[in-house]
Amino acid sequence: MWNELVLLLHPTFGVLAILASVWVFVETLNAREDNQGRIRLASISVAAFLWLAYVVGGYWYVVFYGGDKAIIKAGPWPFAHSFFMESKEHLFFTLLLLGSFLPIVAFNDLAASKPARTLVLWVTTLIVLLSLAMEGAGAFIGMGVKVALLAQQG
Amino acid sequence: MTPKISHPTVERDTGSQMDRTLGGYTAGFSLSFAITSVLSALLVILKETNKETVFAWMAAATGHHWVTHGLLDLIVFVVLGMVLAKVGGGVRMMANALVATIVGATILSGLIITGFNL
Repeated sequence: MWNELVLLLHPTFGVLAILASVWVFVETLNAREDNQGRIRLASISVAAFLWLAYVVGGYWYVVFYGGDKAIIKAGPWPFAHSFFMESKEHLFFTLLLLGSFLPIVAFNDLAASKPARTLVLWVTTLIVLLSLAMEGAGAFIGMGVKVALLAQQG
Repeated sequence: MTPKISHPTVERDTGSQMDRTLGGYTAGFSLSFAITSVLSALLVILKETNKETVFAWMAAATGHHWVTHGLLDLIVFVVLGMVLAKVGGGVRMMANALVATIVGATILSGLIITGFNL
């Protein structure tokens, strides 16, 4: 049961990263001197949630995914691995770098610097879009296992 | 009373060219992100098309090719970011150009990785 919970934690942290990114985006649209503390806290939350998703998902991928991979490749949806997992596992690095970069930008004086605000808005937008793509790819991978197991049952 | 927050590397909105640029660390790590992201995508092609050499070395280095890939990305991102921040890489670029570089690198990385896996 613990292994399954570990797997569920991965998309959960991803969703929390999306929510925190939206929080940063909205706060930045209204950046003032008195909400910079919240922006910085939220940006660190984004990085922390993405790192947690990376560590938890990475642990599961390295230790347990081999079995699922064999099931998917033998089933009717082999592309769930060959396209979705192969893309997800490598695009996640770009997402992780964006998440780590966000606090660096957010610790600028956003109330005073329009360029820094613009950069925060774009980085959070990219994080949300990439995170949604990761969630979608994860759904395809899970479905790939499901249809393969159903096919085995005849 | 709310303390006033300021950042020494960011200029204020007054309309000059300096106001459309970003501070040293922000500019440096912007470029570092863009470069690392594209290099990471190219490494996917390199390791997947050289299973006996690059892939095998990456797998042997940490026990799993994906762990090595992630470590290399993080090392390049941090080291390159620190170096570029130190030498002022990107500080003369307009903020819009840096934003375009980041967005472009993200899209290019996505296209390289998904295109290769199609």
